[in-house]
Parts: sequence; C-alpha cells; structure tokens
Amino acid sequence: MIRLIPRTQFGFWATAFPLILALSITVVVGFLVMVAMSEQPLSDTWTLLTFPWQARTASVQWGFVLQKSSYLAIMAVGLSIGYRANVWNIGAEGQFAFGSILAFGAYVLFGMPDTVWFLPVMLLFGVLGGVAWALIPAALRVWANTNELLTSLMLVYVAANVLNYVTTGPWKGDPKAGQAESDPIHESLRIASIIERTDFHWGVIISAGAILVLACVVLFTSFGYSVRVAQDAPRAQKFAGFSPQMTVWMSFVLSGATAGLAGAIFLSAETGKLIQSENYLNGLGFTAIVIAFLGRLHPIGIVAAALLISYVNVGATYVQSASQVDDSVAELVQVTALFAVLGTAFLSRYRVVFGRPDLSTEGAA
Amino acid sequence: MTNLLSLERITKAYPGVLANDAVDFAVERGEIHALLGENGAGKSTLMKVLSGLTKPDSGQIVWKGDEIAITSPQASKALGIGMVHQHFALFDGMSVGENIALGLGSQLDATQRDRIIEMSEKYGLPLDPDALVFTLSAGEKQRIEIVRALLGEPELLILDEPTSVLTPQEADALFATLRLLKEEGRGLVFISHKLNEVRALCERATILRGGKVVATCVPAGKTAEEIAEMMIGTRPVPAAKGAQNLGETTLSVRDLVTSDISIPHLAVRQGEIVGVAGVAGNGQEALYAYLAGEELAPSASAVRLNGVDAGRFGPSERRALGAAFVPEERLGHAAVPDFSLIDNTLLSNLGTDGFQKRGLINWRVVREHAVEVCDGYDVRHAGVTGRAGSLSGGNLQKFIVGRELIKHPEVLIVNQPTWGVDMGSATNIRDQLKALAESGSAVLVISQDLDELFDLADTLCVLNHGHLSESRETREWTAETLGVAMTGNAQGQAAA
Repeated sequence: MIRLIPRTQFGFWATAFPLILALSITVVVGFLVMVAMSEQPLSDTWTLLTFPWQARTASVQWGFVLQKSSYLAIMAVGLSIGYRANVWNIGAEGQFAFGSILAFGAYVLFGMPDTVWFLPVMLLFGVLGGVAWALIPAALRVWANTNELLTSLMLVYVAANVLNYVTTGPWKGDPKAGQAESDPIHESLRIASIIERTDFHWGVIISAGAILVLACVVLFTSFGYSVRVAQDAPRAQKFAGFSPQMTVWMSFVLSGATAGLAGAIFLSAETGKLIQSENYLNGLGFTAIVIAFLGRLHPIGIVAAALLISYVNVGATYVQSASQVDDSVAELVQVTALFAVLGTAFLSRYRVVFGRPDLSTEGAA
Repeated sequence: MTNLLSLERITKAYPGVLANDAVDFAVERGEIHALLGENGAGKSTLMKVLSGLTKPDSGQIVWKGDEIAITSPQASKALGIGMVHQHFALFDGMSVGENIALGLGSQLDATQRDRIIEMSEKYGLPLDPDALVFTLSAGEKQRIEIVRALLGEPELLILDEPTSVLTPQEADALFATLRLLKEEGRGLVFISHKLNEVRALCERATILRGGKVVATCVPAGKTAEEIAEMMIGTRPVPAAKGAQNLGETTLSVRDLVTSDISIPHLAVRQGEIVGVAGVAGNGQEALYAYLAGEELAPSASAVRLNGVDAGRFGPSERRALGAAFVPEERLGHAAVPDFSLIDNTLLSNLGTDGFQKRGLINWRVVREHAVEVCDGYDVRHAGVTGRAGSLSGGNLQKFIVGRELIKHPEVLIVNQPTWGVDMGSATNIRDQLKALAESGSAVLVISQDLDELFDLADTLCVLNHGHLSESRETREWTAETLGVAMTGNAQGQAAA
C-alpha cells in the first residue's frame, strides 16, 4: 500500500526529488519518442544531447541556445509573478508584438536617428508598448470583472493584426520583398554580438539584468511580498492590508514590461525591421508560459528551464538537418517535461510511504 | 421501558482537553431527546462516537441491549443510526434523486424514485426527484438530507442544529415530521441552541458542560432561563471587574448596519476590555472584518478609531491610527503556513517604522523583530526560519498575539484569542491582554468561551443573529441573562 504523508520538514530533497524524478521521466519518454521517430534512435539521441560539440563551431550553437533562452526566461519571469498571485496573463505574445511595434514607432517618430545612443529610447518604448497592451486586460479585470485569460489571449490576435496593418500600411517598406515588412532600422541601432558570428548578443545581457531586477522586486519589495502571500494564503493578504486590485495591476505591468522589452530586443537584435505577423511572431510568448511552469514559478527554476528547453529545441533543429528526424521531437520533449514537472510537484509537499497505515496515530483529529 | 441506545461512561480525550468525561446518555424508542450545551461542551465528540468517526477511549455503547463497538460510519449506518448534519453534503449541479442515490451508494432507478416519492409523501417532506439542487431553498435541501437518512431505515435519527437555516414556517413543518417519526417508535436526538424549540418538542434533555453531563431534565418543566443556566453554569463574578480608571473612548462603532450585521452602538475606552459573547456563527467573523478593515463599513463614521472616522479605511490605514488585529483563524489568515516566522512577522508590520527603506524591505530588521516577538512572548520554536505551520497551535497563537502586542497598540481587536489553544498558552495570552489594558489600551475580545470573557472583560455585550446587544458591566450580567441573550429568547427571535 502506498500512502502520501504531508511533509513537516522542507529540506533539500523536498525540492530536488520531484525535479530529479521529472527529469528522469522526461529522458525516458523522450528516448521512446526518438525510438518511434528515428531509424537510429541511439545515435540520434546522442546527437541531440551533445550537438554543440558535434557541430562545426560549438560557439554558434551555444549562441543559439543563449539567445533563445534569454527571450523565454525574461518573459517567463515576468509572467510567473502574476501566476503566483492567480493573475493569468497568457497574452505575452501580443505584448511582445506591441513592444516591437512601439519600439519601431519611436524610431519613426524621432526622425530615424542614426546613433547607438537612441537604442535605450527604443528599448524604453518597447517596455511601454508591452505595458500599454497588458493594461487592457488588467483594466477589464479590475473594472469589469472580465476573465483575463480570455482577454489577454484575444489581444494577441489583435496585436498580430496591428503588426500586419503597420507593415502593409503606414510603415510599408520595400514592395518587392517576398513578405510585408518595414524598412530596416539603421545599423547603429542593431544590438551587437558579444562573440562574433554568434547570436550571443548584448540583448542576452540586458535580459539577464532585467531578470535580476525582477528577482529583487519579488524578494525585497512589499509588492513582491504581497504576491507571495496571495499565492499561499489569500485571506492573509487581506489581513496584511494589500489590495487585490493592486496585485492585478502590478502583475500585468511587470509581465507586460518584460514581454515588451523582449519584443524591442528582438526587433533590434534579430530582424532589424517589422515583418508581417506570421513571419515575425514565432510563439516565444506562448512557450514562455510553459517555461514559467517548468521553472515552478521561481526565477532560478525558470532560467534553468529556459536553458534546458532551448538546448533541446536547438538540438532538435540540428538533428533534423543532420539525419532527417523531424524537429517536432523537441515539442514532444517540452510537453513531456511540463507534464512530468506538474505531475511530480505535489511530491515537494508530501512524502511517499510504503506499507500499512499505523492506526494508532489516526482518527484523533 | 428498554433503551434503544445507551452510552455508558463514554470518555474521549484529545491533546489538552477532555472532550467527553464519563458521559452517560440514553435514548428510548419513541422519544425525542435533546442534547444541549455550549460550543465545546462535548456534543460533537459524542455524536462522532455514535456515527463511527471516532473511537472512545473508554466506556460502553449498548444498542438494543447488546454491547457493541462502532468502527466506521458504514457500521453506524448498518446498525440503523441515521445522521442529518448541520451543513448539507449535496452536489448543487445534480438532481434531488441523484443526490439521494449517491448518498446511498446506489443508482437512481425507477424503484428508487418511487421510494423517494413514497417516503417524502408519507412524512410530509415534499420533494421533486428531478429538481436540481441549486434551485432549492435551505428547507428543501434539508428535506433531501432527511429523506436520504430515512431511506436507510434508521431506528435512531440524529439531527444536528436542524433549524439553524430554516424559516419559522419550515421549522414548524420539520417538527410535524419529527413527531411522526417519534410515533413510529424511532428514537430521535435533537441538537439545538434554541431552547424554546427544545421545550416544545423534546421529552427529555441531556445537558453537557465542559465534557460532563450536568443534568438530565424534562425541558417542558423548566423555563428557558433555568435551562440556559444549566448549560452555562453559575460563575463566580469577579470581584473588582468593572469601570475604573477608564480613559477616553478610542474605538467606537455607531449604526453599523449591513446585510450580515447590525451594531447600533459599541464603545471601548482606554484601559477597558470589552467582551463580545455569542454562539459561533452569529456574526463574529463579520464584526471582526468590519473592525479590522477587511470589509469596509457603509459610511466612514460607522467606525471611529482614536477620534478619526475610519469606516472606509483598509487595515493598513487603521494600523497607522494605532490599531492592531488578531483574527480567529491562525493558519491562512493571521499567518501564512508555508512562510517562515520572519516572513510572517512582516504580515502586520508593512507600515511599521524601519521595516521598509526606500521601498525595499529591510529583512535584517524584520528578522530581529521576529526574534524579539518569540523571546518576549514565550514562543517555542525550532528557529525563526522555520515554517509557521509547523508550530503548535498554542505557540503559533502566542506568536500572532505577540506580534501585535509588541507594537503596544492603542486599540487591539481580538477574535477568539485562545480557541484551540492549550491551557498554559491560553493563560499566558489572557495575562498579556490584561496587562495591555492596564497600561491604558482599549481591547475588544470576541469570544465563544464564557469563562474567558468573565475572566477578561470589564464590560460585556452579546452578538446574536448578527445583532449586538447593549453592553453592560460584567458584574451586572448573570449566567441566566447572558444565556438568554445568547440563545435569542429574550426578543422571542425565531430563525432570522
């Protein structure tokens, strides 16, 4: 007989055991997926696990991993703050798009300055764009009691259409391009690589800095404290005197700000121009939701999860080009990891005990 | 006449409290037997023994002449003991018939439907098996529970506070049903706080106080006042309690009327402890919420703190005026169970000087403060980084009360200061509250424990059906007058 006993002590193993178990499940299931999809599962799995060293230049592959994980991590950390307080912004993709649009808008508005000193202004406008877009579902929730899951998600598609409008309308660039896109921004405003010919650029450092700032907000401000209280004991939040409405506003402001910043960095570092939505938005804002939960809503966990999932994603792309295994294997691994982490989370609060119950200690409640 | 059931010298101890102390209790066939007592007198424990939820430490259960052991709720049901709980256990989205079938562990088929209709007609409990539960009134929901219990063909039916949610008309209909069941030769146990109902309905009454049987009587032969006195006991009136060296009024409530509470007037002066007595569930939570600012009063002037109209202020603004609060629920309200004692120290100190500097929390100061609270108020703990939820009830309560007392608040509002707390800690907490009042603070204590109120309060008032009585000096109250005010007989109030 297997029973679950609530933990009284929360040591290292309370955190580590569920994660090790989840990782093991992911590895086993991931390998089974590989067996089903590949003709040589062993060597392909080996390639997936060690691809940076198999590739011609490891630094290029690591650059891909760092670049991708920086976008995921910063957005996921922003989202996780609200998720802890039961505020469900699932529209980071739209706030990301609006951040890009406003960053480009600032560039146009200020007469397309050709100097690196304008880059901070662009990033600031990206943040403002994300915040502005996030304030819509926040206002609807606070003033009209609308479910923010629905409104924030629907606003993703509105933002995508705004992006399509500006790239085909007011900011339409080269008509001979194969897609609707704006003119590129000046080279001076493109975020530079730290290691040449890799995607490891200064945007990764900016994101890391923003994550540090957010971690400090959670740990050292009364807002961060109120969010932690809200997660564990909503009534205690009232006792302390926190306003639930303020929690909603602040959660959206912070998650919108991070998504908007990610959008502005993406514009400057990756594309250098706005492009019609289906070629510009690639689901980073949605994957960030998965990353937030994979990281158990904790900043350190989120950074680890973002690195891990990016590694598998980039690896799967590499395996696909090397041996024709479809890179959807990465998505399957990602989903498996999510289920495994969520499914084992309860083990951090309960111990598993084998054997018959001890009757003498029960029934006294 | 032989007893259907008799309990002999049932004893059950929980850590720190003897819930049943050699309780004798017997029910005959064709009898409605009232079980009376204050909260915590031991009624629930006795009923848990009967329904198989708990095993007595000692004593005998004799059922129809045979000594037996009731090992589980299923065994209790199989013997022929039916239970109608105070709180309904029904699924709102399902039909009446489905709910009944589910409770009996069977499927809803044609025979089952016919039995439900037959049973409900026979006993005057009209029910439509296809009606969805969420569309029904409290009285109708209770009929479902009764029919469900009756379908198990019980010989003994226990009803726990059955009239607390009913209108007077519904209650009368229920009494007619109960008399019918009695005439069929079943035994009934009727648990209630409403003494006039008990006097009208019940043949005998057993009265529990502090886990012991204090009397068995014929309720119709006693006045409500006499029964109330037996329930509450005659208490020695404290000699020197009462107004002395009292200062200005620092907490006052005037004409606070909302959907769940009505308080014409309440005032607490410097140096005074005012007690609010009442049976659980009569508006204590609402009163606390309006005083602590967790609910806002309809008007600012309804609650005055230190001379400021504070009715529309939240908890932080009221704390800034010198107030402090201790809610009833320790885990999840007064403290976050998964937080450390350090984290929990901040909960009621967000506005306290020194805890925050330029918007950032100074955790070093919070930690020092947590240590001071634990050292100063005898909180035994394994370290201030340990979880609050791992502390014993008494130690956690000392921490929660100490966290407020260390601020030396000018006004302290406490809801159930020693509920579920061991004797030693309870005495400690009461002494601390007295010391605070002596030093010139105004203290309001909401409590169900009358001994505690007689010990602490200078002035007492009673909360009954959300209505707060006038306050009088503690020495002017007797157990009788207090009991009558708590059970609502004085105003002849039926269920509100």
